[in-house]
Amino acid sequence: METVKTKDSAPGAATRPQRQRQSNELRKIFLKTGLIPSASGSSYLEFEPSPALAAARSTPKSLIPPSSALKLACTVHGPKPLPRSATFSPNLVLTTHVKYAPFAARKRKGHIRDASERDLGVHLETALRGVIVAERWPKSGLDITITIIEAEDDRWWGDAPDSHDAPWGMMNVLAGCITAASAAIADARIDCLDLVAGGVAAIVSDGDDAAPRLVLDCDPAEHWSILSACVVAYMPSRDEITELWLKGDGSKAVLSADDKRLGNEALLDGAVDAARGAHTVLAEAVRESAERYAGLALGGPAR
Amino acid sequence: MSAQRQASSASQTPHISPAELSYLWSSLALPNNPIRPDGRSPTQFRPLSAETDILPGTNGSARVGFADGTQAIVGVKAEVEKTVAAADVSSLSQRAQEQFGENQDGEGKSSATTTGHGSWVQMSIEIPGYRDDDALPVFLSEMMREPLVESVSSGGNADGEMAGGLKGRLVINRRWHWRLYIDVLLLSQPLSYPLPLLSLTTHLALLSTKLPKLKSLGEEDPFFDDDWDAAEYLYPRSQSRLASALQLRPPVTLLVISVGENVIFDPSRDEIAVADTLLAISVARDGGSDALKVLSIRTVDPPSRLTQPGMPNAENPASLESAAVAEQAVNGEEIPGVWRPRRGGVKRNTVAKMVKLVLQKGGVGEEVLEGLEGVEVG
Amino acid sequence: MVEGTLAKLAIPGQRLGSIASYSAGPGTHVQNANIYASIAGPIVIDPAQATAKTKSTISISRSIPQNAATKPVTTKSNPKYNTLPTVDSVVLARVTRVQKRQATVSILVVLDDSAATHPLNPSHTPSDNDNVAAILTSAANPENHSSSDELRFQALIRKEDVRVVEKDRVVMDEMFRVGDIVRGSVISLGDQSFYYLTTARNDLGVVMARSEAGNMMFPVSWKEMRDPDTGLAELRKVARPF
Repeated sequence: METVKTKDSAPGAATRPQRQRQSNELRKIFLKTGLIPSASGSSYLEFEPSPALAAARSTPKSLIPPSSALKLACTVHGPKPLPRSATFSPNLVLTTHVKYAPFAARKRKGHIRDASERDLGVHLETALRGVIVAERWPKSGLDITITIIEAEDDRWWGDAPDSHDAPWGMMNVLAGCITAASAAIADARIDCLDLVAGGVAAIVSDGDDAAPRLVLDCDPAEHWSILSACVVAYMPSRDEITELWLKGDGSKAVLSADDKRLGNEALLDGAVDAARGAHTVLAEAVRESAERYAGLALGGPAR
Repeated sequence: MSAQRQASSASQTPHISPAELSYLWSSLALPNNPIRPDGRSPTQFRPLSAETDILPGTNGSARVGFADGTQAIVGVKAEVEKTVAAADVSSLSQRAQEQFGENQDGEGKSSATTTGHGSWVQMSIEIPGYRDDDALPVFLSEMMREPLVESVSSGGNADGEMAGGLKGRLVINRRWHWRLYIDVLLLSQPLSYPLPLLSLTTHLALLSTKLPKLKSLGEEDPFFDDDWDAAEYLYPRSQSRLASALQLRPPVTLLVISVGENVIFDPSRDEIAVADTLLAISVARDGGSDALKVLSIRTVDPPSRLTQPGMPNAENPASLESAAVAEQAVNGEEIPGVWRPRRGGVKRNTVAKMVKLVLQKGGVGEEVLEGLEGVEVG
Repeated sequence: MVEGTLAKLAIPGQRLGSIASYSAGPGTHVQNANIYASIAGPIVIDPAQATAKTKSTISISRSIPQNAATKPVTTKSNPKYNTLPTVDSVVLARVTRVQKRQATVSILVVLDDSAATHPLNPSHTPSDNDNVAAILTSAANPENHSSSDELRFQALIRKEDVRVVEKDRVVMDEMFRVGDIVRGSVISLGDQSFYYLTTARNDLGVVMARSEAGNMMFPVSWKEMRDPDTGLAELRKVARPF
């Protein structure tokens, strides 16, 4: 592993994990559908641990792992009748529920959903509602529940909590939620316009003097500071975005010389590229789900 | 009901018939020349009245009323709080290095004192008819808090006081900081998506917020000048009127919709009901240049996705239309004049267009900020 | 051709063809004059009837046809876009409440077309109906009145929809009892909470019931069922068993 001399690499001190990937290279995604038999659709998603994390797991040097890798499970229940008190709806009523397991993040989460979890739920709902063909399922409801088993860090643990404290990890979590929910909905055979995939791009800076640059699928632990980040839920076949969440000031990004785009446009395009990458994994997982289902119905005689 | 509440926008769905929705959509989507129900131009805002410093018990406050009768009050309170010691590895190692007599520029050390923490700014929104843990208030407060704490002005000419943005301004010294409570009160049931109203009110309240003048020095326990007249503005202002344009100001969040090819600002409730896309864009002035910059963009779930579809004549047993239209209907094609709930998302160039209209010189963003600067503060 | 079409799987968002050459069936949607898949599953192309000038229908199957060759002759039925009960679909439901003017039932299974044509062979229906027997035996078990009713679609059988003849003489208590399994046909999507069912056909009505003593009864006439152990008869609106 090449060692890069940064301001943190003091003798004896823990070193910040370094990004080994190209700036446009994504982490590998593991995605599988149909793991929860009692749900009408389900999926499980996992991000590849960073090399630093993998190394720390095999030969631990510190009690604290250098970074974390996203793991989450998504279940879809329904279509089922709406609660008695609900009013008539000609469309499918979507309910999203995102919950961190208490042990998911470095800081323990309570059992009651906090503001950030509710916020994630609304983002996810926005992303999915644009994709589902809701008028095909009148009078019924669909519950989407996501449990985050291991969350993405917001920063490297060695940084002071005030160095870049915005919840950047949440954006990666949201992208994972979108991709996983999309797979689970397809697994439940709810009509969708397309498989919607989540992607993240960020403008990061690796030191006071380093120029801010654009990276796809950033691991917040690997960067000294994140200036701006963007999540999209993207439908490749229609080239449309159903959810966009951009925050931070990306106006200082240094793009290549012939790039005339604004920082926010470059971010958006980057996030879309990341989502395209996730879509290939998603398509494969859904195809697998369809094959498993077809095999079941053809091979196994009716019980 | 809870399922309906969950939706950030569902509660906003007005009861408009499919025929009205279709009519509204097509008049708003007229190429280059949308016709709005209230006759405004696409970038025109509704008139509003505003006043600041209305509550003596707060550090800063504002009231904004829209012409439709909805009003919001924002009160800002500040408390002094002890900073929980936050040792990070870099400063630890630096300290170690200093002990070893190694010479290193103290850049990292000094920066540690100017950065603050986002959680020092707390925002709560109260909307009648909603519990405070419902999705809408939570989403709105996150949406408004985000650009606020994020707005680190890295501009060259920013005077030292505001270098770390709002977060940096809250730092008193290494051990003490201000905690800011922003409480937003909507006085009536929202008639449209309340974001612009709340954002403008919060902006004005923060502008009028004053913190007592610090008398202690350096790392001492802080004590303050008890003369309120000597208090300093949270967002410092230069004395010369000339530089007023370059003054630091809190960000504002604008609500923008797209209908067909058109982009429309400050949409009313009915206009939101037919919007293809609904974006909340937060902008602030860049410290360095006079230009505006984006601090956050969020899509908001447009209620048009939950509307009731219209029924084409072909499917209507009460009418006797011929089979030509019927085939179209079977194929799921859009029939002009028949409302279909919106589905799908937004194209990238539409987003870019919306952002550009906000940011460009003399664009909507500047117009709004200039309008707000016209409000007499303090 | 059957094998070939079954082997081809589509995933949502995949382009299937243009509306110039096909018409869009269930499981697909139309965007910009192209047909796209909206669920994952095998592509089924239903060839147009030679006589009609209609185009072939392309659709994505939700329940894989077990034997497309013996597919029942599709008599102009509404294409089914979902697995929910729709008008005319035949359902099995359990009676949860009997009132003077109506009976409340909760829908256990929506029998799909192939099952509807062979009503006596529910075990041969594929996909989500494959455990009909399991659902029914558990549902008919009086100890199994669990809260899962909340998760099922509710329906009403109004007094006037019970039978064709002597509608005015219907006494609901003599037609249904709580716990009975009823085969009914959906006549309306109803209001926000209930579908409306009818049993006014010979093949519709109670298919399984337990006597007061708790034994499974067998049908003896269109309005009577009998307990094999006690020999006592009870009144029901009985579905024709064959």
